Amino acid sequence: MNVLEIKNLTKKFADFIAVDNMSLSVAEGEIFGFLGANGAGKSTTINMIAGLLRSNDGAISILGKNTAKHSRFTKMNLGMVPQDLAIYEDMTAYENVKFFAGLYGLRGAELHDRVVEALEFVGLQDKHKSYPNSFSGGMKRRLNIACAIAHRPKLIIMDEPTVGIDPQSRNYILTSVKKLNEMGCTIIYTSHYMEEVEEICSRIAIIDHGKIIAEGTKEQLKSIITNTKDLWIEVKTSEKVNIQSIKEIPGVEAVSVDENFIKINSDTGVNNLNKIIEHFINSQIEIRSVQEKAPNLETVFLTLTGRNLRDQ
Amino acid sequence: MNILNIAWKGIKKDFRDTKTLFFMLAFPIILILVLGTALSNTFTTSLPVDDLHVLYKDITKGGSFQQFITVAERSGIHFKKVTDKMDGKREVKQSTYDGYVEVTEKGVQLYVNNSNSIKGNILQGMLSAYVDKYNIASEIMKADPEKLVAAFTTGDQRDFIKETSLNPNKQPGSMDYYAIVITTMIVLYGAMSASSLIVSERVRRTADRLIAAPVRKSEIFIGKVLGSLVSNGLSVILVILFSKLLFNANWGNHLGLVFIVLLTEVVLAVSIGIGVSFLTKTNTAPQVIIMLFIQLSSFFGGAYFKIENPEGIFKFITDLSPLTWMNSAMTKIIYANDFAAAIPAISINLIGAFLFLLVAIISLQRREGL
Repeated sequence: MNVLEIKNLTKKFADFIAVDNMSLSVAEGEIFGFLGANGAGKSTTINMIAGLLRSNDGAISILGKNTAKHSRFTKMNLGMVPQDLAIYEDMTAYENVKFFAGLYGLRGAELHDRVVEALEFVGLQDKHKSYPNSFSGGMKRRLNIACAIAHRPKLIIMDEPTVGIDPQSRNYILTSVKKLNEMGCTIIYTSHYMEEVEEICSRIAIIDHGKIIAEGTKEQLKSIITNTKDLWIEVKTSEKVNIQSIKEIPGVEAVSVDENFIKINSDTGVNNLNKIIEHFINSQIEIRSVQEKAPNLETVFLTLTGRNLRDQ
Repeated sequence: MNILNIAWKGIKKDFRDTKTLFFMLAFPIILILVLGTALSNTFTTSLPVDDLHVLYKDITKGGSFQQFITVAERSGIHFKKVTDKMDGKREVKQSTYDGYVEVTEKGVQLYVNNSNSIKGNILQGMLSAYVDKYNIASEIMKADPEKLVAAFTTGDQRDFIKETSLNPNKQPGSMDYYAIVITTMIVLYGAMSASSLIVSERVRRTADRLIAAPVRKSEIFIGKVLGSLVSNGLSVILVILFSKLLFNANWGNHLGLVFIVLLTEVVLAVSIGIGVSFLTKTNTAPQVIIMLFIQLSSFFGGAYFKIENPEGIFKFITDLSPLTWMNSAMTKIIYANDFAAAIPAISINLIGAFLFLLVAIISLQRREGL
């Protein structure tokens, strides 16, 4: 059974088409990764699923019910973890979760139990009387999650839930996401951290210019680019690197710079390693190492969109 | 139920926030104390006048003026006969004496330094009364001299000036006045916090979470407005109580009606706040616009100093301030038991509130999200 079904969804802002005739389905029990660079239409799609934006065309169904016609039902079954922290700094952790859970019709002892359960789930039970302004970034992120799960939704949308937090908190959140999934929640997960998506998502969609350009499991996505190889060239300094001129070398499909690493995505059918090395020597860029890597999701993303996921 | 949930959250937030609490409760109390004390002289209804010292020259044959002098002495007006060496007019010019009176068979002439001064007025009034009495006596003498004594001995005719105040005990003192005008002003300040009711949810991003929940926008809106009305209403009650207990401010005998009128102003203030927040595009603009509006309304509504009998364009401007109508209504209810005075204030408040709420509701329906 599909928990989420999107059909021919379109959203326009004046003349700009943010989401272009998108169709998508997410089955029950999936952790569905939603990848897209900034401005690709990812947040707009999520906001339409959550009911924050109205679509110009198309339909969204949650648990088989149209979100426009059965707004109350679909919202009751949806949990939203927004990218920006959506908590009240002037209310305690307990009060924050209680207030939002109360909007889902929970009352009395049941409400209290669910609030305690949610706080325990995110590891904030000891801080239930504390105000968020005394919390670390990671703790605030966890409270942000607790506010979205206390009413036990069937579908949870997590929009960049690990932005700007320490590795320990990130691991805690990733473990929590897996645990929620084991408990029966279907999750839509977006992140700028490709390794997170690779680690937890069972299926992934890549969105670009408002359209889904690839969709499938990690393996399926990687298989799309079997005809490409990844070259990681470590240089002394990347200041002199001219991406455009590297792209002009035959066989090179995409180039990105990550500190001192120049990541070159190239056609396996073209033997161009010599020309690439020659380019660096001619440009008087000192090479420290050259590695050929198996394609990962980042390579897939780069190949398909021509952009790095973290490009602004 | 969601409406009450949202309203209750707003009330808790208002009463927990020390800045809001200070502004809603401590600020008006301090302002009443400061203005009420500093400007208390403006509201004094009696002016103490020292004894008057007057030179006189009486060249008449009768003793009527001497009788007048005797009576005037009791009122603290001391007459001294001018000597040959003295120049009465010069003595007055030099302010050695408050006045100089020349009584001749032709009449009475009074010289004072400033005829508009209080002392000058008193002397003029007393001498006018004396002259009137003298004229009456002359007329009686002409008509029936035998009745002259009877006419001037029956009844108490000794007072030359009798002052009567209208409702002497029903005038607001400075504390009474500022308790009213500061309270109505603080109620209007409720528009400031109301302007951030929805904006703050957008800024904190909690608006997205609210919209994602199974709550209608109308429920969020009503809950927010209700919470703000209760918070502001409660703070008005507390300000009234504090001003009554601490400063013995007079709130009259019809506290229920006074509170109803104030409550309609709370409705207006909250509506202005929300309405303006939907009319502007930036998050800071509503605060600036509302602050300007409140300051002008307070100034022309008499919140800082009493504006009495404005005329022309100034009257027109003062009438534009909702505080003018509020303060006028409150004063009439408290000091003249004039219940009808509540009608224009309540009408203005509710019509204004309706218009601003309408703007907010239409804007909310049109926009996506909150």
